[in-house]
Amino acid sequence: MRSGSETFVKAAGLVGLAGLVVAFPGLASDPFVLSVGVVIISYAVLATAWNFVGGFTGYISLGHAAYSGLGGYATGLLILRADVNPWVALLLGGLVVAVLAVPVGIAALRVRGASFVIVSIALVLVLLLVFQSWESVTGGSDGLRVPRPFDADVLRPEQHQRFFHLHAVLLAVMLLCWWVIDRSRFGMGLKAIREDEDKARSLGVPTVRYKLAAFVVSAFFTALGGGLYALWFGFLDPIFQFSILVGSNMVLMSLLGGVRSLFGPLVGAVVVGYATEFFKAQYGDTQMHLVAMGVLLAVVVLFLPDGIIPAVRGLLARLRPGQASIREVTQEELAAEVRR
Amino acid sequence: MSLVFQSLVLGVLMGGLYALLAAGLTLYFGVMRVVMIAHSAFLVLAAYLAWTFTVHTGLDPMLSLLVTVPLFFALGVAVQRLLVARLRPATLTMMSVLLTFAVALVVEGLLGFVFSGTHRRIPLSYSGARLELFGASVALVKLIAFGLAVVTLAGLHVLLKVTRFGQALRATMQHREAARLLGVDTDRVAGFGFGLGLATAAVGGTALALDSTIYPSLHWHWIGPLMAIIVVGGLGSVAGAAVAALVLGVGQNLLQLPLGTTWAQTFFYAALFLTLILRPQGFFGGRLAQRF
Repeated sequence: MRSGSETFVKAAGLVGLAGLVVAFPGLASDPFVLSVGVVIISYAVLATAWNFVGGFTGYISLGHAAYSGLGGYATGLLILRADVNPWVALLLGGLVVAVLAVPVGIAALRVRGASFVIVSIALVLVLLLVFQSWESVTGGSDGLRVPRPFDADVLRPEQHQRFFHLHAVLLAVMLLCWWVIDRSRFGMGLKAIREDEDKARSLGVPTVRYKLAAFVVSAFFTALGGGLYALWFGFLDPIFQFSILVGSNMVLMSLLGGVRSLFGPLVGAVVVGYATEFFKAQYGDTQMHLVAMGVLLAVVVLFLPDGIIPAVRGLLARLRPGQASIREVTQEELAAEVRR
Repeated sequence: MSLVFQSLVLGVLMGGLYALLAAGLTLYFGVMRVVMIAHSAFLVLAAYLAWTFTVHTGLDPMLSLLVTVPLFFALGVAVQRLLVARLRPATLTMMSVLLTFAVALVVEGLLGFVFSGTHRRIPLSYSGARLELFGASVALVKLIAFGLAVVTLAGLHVLLKVTRFGQALRATMQHREAARLLGVDTDRVAGFGFGLGLATAAVGGTALALDSTIYPSLHWHWIGPLMAIIVVGGLGSVAGAAVAALVLGVGQNLLQLPLGTTWAQTFFYAALFLTLILRPQGFFGGRLAQRF
């Protein structure tokens, strides 16, 4: 089935993409465009991190802002209060959040579907309350200023450039992890959970441990993304860190691109991130962007629940003759075929 | 002592409003297995409509119910027929959460666009009036809000238990296919169930507007507690939701004494997480809640 030319096209695409990412800061016309680039790649990092649990297990978390926010605060607080080296703080912050995610995951993953989403929302709301009220440690509603990791003689555009590449490295590591898991026995188990958890369990998939592992990995990467963003942006405000909108952005981007595809969240992040920044630049920060986001999310959920990538791939497959007899079919498609 | 009693009374009054709103959420979940995140956004919308009504006509905000209740009923039917019913059955529960979340964003955004982010409060001649109730001093508006909630809940109870439509609705909640076999038009009933649920948001919003300041993003403060209530009570159980609403409402008000208002809010979330650890299907939920 897999021909040499297909592999070549894929490899060429990958090299092209990597080249584009490396070259982008050089191509960007001014620091503003560069900073938008950093925001978009930060979205891509968060959405891809979200997809470790959302894409593999089908558990949709609207509250991943909890982990990006915690990652940001953990990094900032470690630097400020414990005088840790920023990069060590970033990694430590990620590990702390991963440890915290274990009990949360145990509680949240006991329930499926709707209840899981409720818990994920509740987590963000409770963290918002805690970080706003606990002023002595977190700085409360005034926010927390995170010192920059580079010396003062590194100017803003140079900062943007370095952070763009740091984000790109993190993104590449995550994509590699996703790709490896996707091909492993572990990934197969997770996908089985996504299609039918009870059947997966009856076939001997250790569902509880698998789900928890995916959840913790996702929280770890999300926290790293949040920490890196905190180091770049330099300021944390609980309202923006622990906002359901941040979490729903991750969901929207991943769904739009396609949760089952490696590059789905990345594609979604580029589309949504670019649109968001474009609208902000054109029309300012009005309430209408909430409406636009809501409408877009509704459209994706109603008409494109599998995302852009599968839709395009389906379109291409139709132009190509002859499919193999063994295909990957989802529970849903199977049910649809049986009904037909 | 009297302070504790005062909190107890206030907690019960608060719990009444929570119970009414949770009843709406239970209806949606019952008929469609949908968790309606937008419920509290519509609650705030109803509060704004009541505010607009009073500011423009000078009449009592409760009269706005004559308009908002039928309007919200129709809106609820529309949301079910036009949006929720279009989702694929296999992923309905997850996707419906996202869909209703999207609706909540749209409602919040439009409220912010039309009414701006300014905090609003209904000017009422009796807003300062207080009543002595068994030695506790209670604001009249809180009593009215509680009264509205109780009357609506009682009406809902009668509607569900006595009328033929109520029977059909309960049958749909219990077992959709069996209900259809018995000749119940379940799609229609599900639409009406949504309408009824949203109508509770209209009543709740008016009650809310009586004694609190409203702003577009207020609904986030309601989603958390309401979601905690329906999980603690057990998804799909009206009685369970009502009991959980009262218990949590009272608990929150009592905890405000030693902890202050902000930290007392966390009580809902603590209860939510404890419930999931000890009894994931909720304390009153039956077979239905276990699967979700």
